[in-house]
Amino acid sequence: MAITFGWAGTVLFVDLSSGKVTKVATTDYRPEEFIGGLGLNTRIFWDLGCPEVAAYHPDNPLIISNGPLAGIYGPFGKGLICSISPQSYPRELFNYSSFGGRFSTELKYAGYDALVVLGKSAKPVYLSIRDEDIAIKNADDLWGVDTFEAQQALLANEAGASILVIGPAGENLSRISIILTETNSAAGQGGFGAVMGSKNLKAIAVRGNGAVHVARARDVVQLTSVITEENNQNAGQMGRIFRTPYGSPDEIQEIFANKYYVKQHGCYGCPQQCQSVNYIPGIGLSGSKCANWGWSPLFSDAPRDIWQANVSMQKVGINSFDITCGIPLLLLLAYQAGILSTREIEEDVGLPASQWLGGTATEQEFLRVFFNKAASGEIPYGEGTPRFTEYFRQRLPHGEELMSLQEELYTAHGSAYHHVDNLGSALHWATDSRDPLGSTHEYKDPPPEITDYFGLPPYSGYQILDTSKTVYAGAELVTTWVQENQCLKNSLTVCEYWSHVKSFYKPPELDLRVMESRLFSAVTGIDMDVEKLARAGERIWNLRRAVMVKREGRTREDDIINEPYFKKAITCYGGSMLGKKNGPIDRSKFEALKDRYYERRGWDVKTGRPKRAKLEELGLKDIADELAGLGKLP
Amino acid sequence: MEALKSGVIIYNQSVCSACGVCEIMCSLWHEGIIGPALARANIIRDAFTAKHRHIACQQCLYPGCYYACPLPDKALCIDEATGTVYVNEAECIGCELCIDACPFEPSRTKYNAEKKVAFKCDLCKDREQGPVCVEYCPFQALTYVTKDERL
Repeated sequence: MAITFGWAGTVLFVDLSSGKVTKVATTDYRPEEFIGGLGLNTRIFWDLGCPEVAAYHPDNPLIISNGPLAGIYGPFGKGLICSISPQSYPRELFNYSSFGGRFSTELKYAGYDALVVLGKSAKPVYLSIRDEDIAIKNADDLWGVDTFEAQQALLANEAGASILVIGPAGENLSRISIILTETNSAAGQGGFGAVMGSKNLKAIAVRGNGAVHVARARDVVQLTSVITEENNQNAGQMGRIFRTPYGSPDEIQEIFANKYYVKQHGCYGCPQQCQSVNYIPGIGLSGSKCANWGWSPLFSDAPRDIWQANVSMQKVGINSFDITCGIPLLLLLAYQAGILSTREIEEDVGLPASQWLGGTATEQEFLRVFFNKAASGEIPYGEGTPRFTEYFRQRLPHGEELMSLQEELYTAHGSAYHHVDNLGSALHWATDSRDPLGSTHEYKDPPPEITDYFGLPPYSGYQILDTSKTVYAGAELVTTWVQENQCLKNSLTVCEYWSHVKSFYKPPELDLRVMESRLFSAVTGIDMDVEKLARAGERIWNLRRAVMVKREGRTREDDIINEPYFKKAITCYGGSMLGKKNGPIDRSKFEALKDRYYERRGWDVKTGRPKRAKLEELGLKDIADELAGLGKLP
Repeated sequence: MEALKSGVIIYNQSVCSACGVCEIMCSLWHEGIIGPALARANIIRDAFTAKHRHIACQQCLYPGCYYACPLPDKALCIDEATGTVYVNEAECIGCELCIDACPFEPSRTKYNAEKKVAFKCDLCKDREQGPVCVEYCPFQALTYVTKDERL
C-alpha cells in the first residue's frame, strides 16, 4: 500500500456476529474533505445507511477513530467515538464522545484511521488488534470485572497494548456507562459503554508497531516549538489547574497536593498532561480532571470521600460528569424544595437518605448503593437522570414538579447543563444532538480584541444573566462559528483545552485556525488554508445535520432546549457559574434567532433542513441526492 | 578503538507522566517518521501504578554491543565527542549480534526490520542542541550527563 501522510490509510471493520474482518481504504471516505475523527466517523455512518435501529441493536455501529494529526507531538491524541446513543433523550440519537489517553495514537501506529465494530458476539469477547493481526478472543473471565482489574488482566496477554474497556455498568446496559482507558480517560457522554455491552464486547486492545509518516518533517518540527511555547504559557495552564481534584475547596486541594498527589498524566504525545494522578492508600490510584466528585458543590468535603467516589465511578464505568450534575443533585434540590420527602427518597425512590437528604446515612453509603444500582442495570437507576425522573413521574405525588426540576438540570437532548449562560450557547445546544460540552467554553466572554479579530460581534451582549440587557441580533454568527470549531477540533483531532479561541491567539501571524491549517498541511502534504479549513468544519456540521434529518427526521421543531429555560431564570449548580441565574429566554425572539441561524446556514427556515444549494456548495451532492430521494430535501 | 567513558541520559521516574514525547521526537529526529517502535528509547507506561519505566541505552563503560560487532569502527562505532556507541547504517549488515550482546532486557539496541539494520541511542551526537528527548520532555524527567560529568 502506498504511504499516506498523516492518515494511516485503512479503516478496519470487525463484525462480531460473523467474525469477519474487512479493511477499507480510508480514501474511500474522502478524508481530505471529512478529515478524521467526528467527520470521518459521520461519513462512515452515512455510508452504512444511517441505520434506523435502537442503540443496542447489532446493526448499530460503534465507530472509533483518530485524526490526521494524531500520533505527532502536541495536543492531538484524543479519539472520537460515534454511535447511536443510549443516553440521548427522549430519543436515541446518533452522537459522539471523545476520549484521551493512548488508544487513539496506538490505533494509528497499528495502521488504522478508524475501527468500526458491528454485530453482536454470542459470548463475552474482547477484540485484539496487533498491527495486521486482528483476533476476537474469549472474555468470559473478564465479564463482571471492574475496569481497572480487567485492563490489568488483559495486559498479561496483550503486552504494551492500550485498552478501551467497559465496567459492569456497560455490561448491564446502563445508559450512563462509559468506555474507559487507563484510570481516568473515558468517552463519557453518550452511554456508549452500553453499546459495547450490548455487543458482548468487554474490551478492545490495540498495539501498533508502525509509524506515522509526515509530509514535511522540518515544518512539523518547527511548528512543535510553537506548541511547546504555547504549553508553557497559555494552553498548558490546564495541566496546572487540574493538579488536584478540580472544584473542591482550597483546603481540600491543599491536602491532596501535600499528601496524595503523585504526578501528571494525559494523552500520548501531548506536553500538557492535564490529568492529576492521586493515590490514597486503601482506595487506589487514579487521575482526575474537571468532572469529578470534588467538583460537586453540594456534597463531599472529605478528601477520602471525594477520592472514593472518583475511583468507584471509573471502576464500575459510569459517567462522572453526569453523576455529578445528575440524580444526586436532583434529589437534593427536590428535597430542599419540598418536592421529595426523606421518607419518599427511602421508600419510593429506594435510595438511602444521606444527611443531605434529611436522613442518617452517610454520603458514602448513599453513593455506594446508588453506584451499585446504576451499574447493575436496575431500572431506573442506571437510565440517566431524564429517564429516572420519567420513571417516577407517575409514581410520586409531586412527580410533575420533579420532572420540571429535571428539565432545568438537563438542558436538552438528555445532557446536563453546561454554560447555557450565553444566547449563542443556547442556540448551539438547541441545534446539536447532545451538549456541546467543551465548545460551550467558547461562549465565555473572549475579550473584544479576539472577537474583533475573528470578525465576530462582541459576546457580552448575548449574556442571559441579566435579560434586560440581552441582545438577540447577531448571536447566530457566534453559534455558527463555534460549531465549525467544534467540528474541526473533533475531526483533526485537537484537545478541548487547546482548541479554545484564547489559545494560539497571536494575530495576525498566528491564530488557532492558522496553526491548525499549517500543521494539517505539514503533516498531510495537502495544502490547507484558513478558509478551506473553516469550510471543512461547515461541511462536517452539514453532514451531521444530514444524518439527523435522514435517520431522525430532524426538523426545526426538534431544535429545542427544555421548557423551563423560556419560563424562568435557571440556576447553575456547578463550576465557576455556581449559583448564577440565566434567562429566561424570550421564546419569540429565540425563534426569530433560529430563523436567522437557518438562513445563515443556507438551510430551509421552515423545516430547518439543509437545502441542495448549500450541500452541493460543500461537495455533498451525493447526500443531497439521497435526501431528495427520501423526500427529505426542502 | 578503545571504548570511552560515554555521556548518558538519566531518568527521574517520579515526575515522568509517560506522555511519550521523548519517543515521538526521537523517531522524528532520527527517522523522519513517528512511531514508538522506531524510537531509540521507550517508555513502558503503567497507568495503574504510575511507575513508568524508561527503556534506554545505559551507555555502558564496557559496551557489549560494540565488542560483539563483526565490523567494529565500521558498523558500530564510537563517537569521540560524546563517547556513545552508534550505528553506521551504511555499513551495518543486520546480523543482530549487538542486540544479543546487550546486557539489558529488552535489548537497548533494536532492529529495524524494514531497513535491516540495528539502531540505538546515539545521544543525538549530530544534533547541536543535544539529545532531542531531553530538550522536549515537558517535565524535565530526562537529564543529559556528559562523559566529563559522568562519575
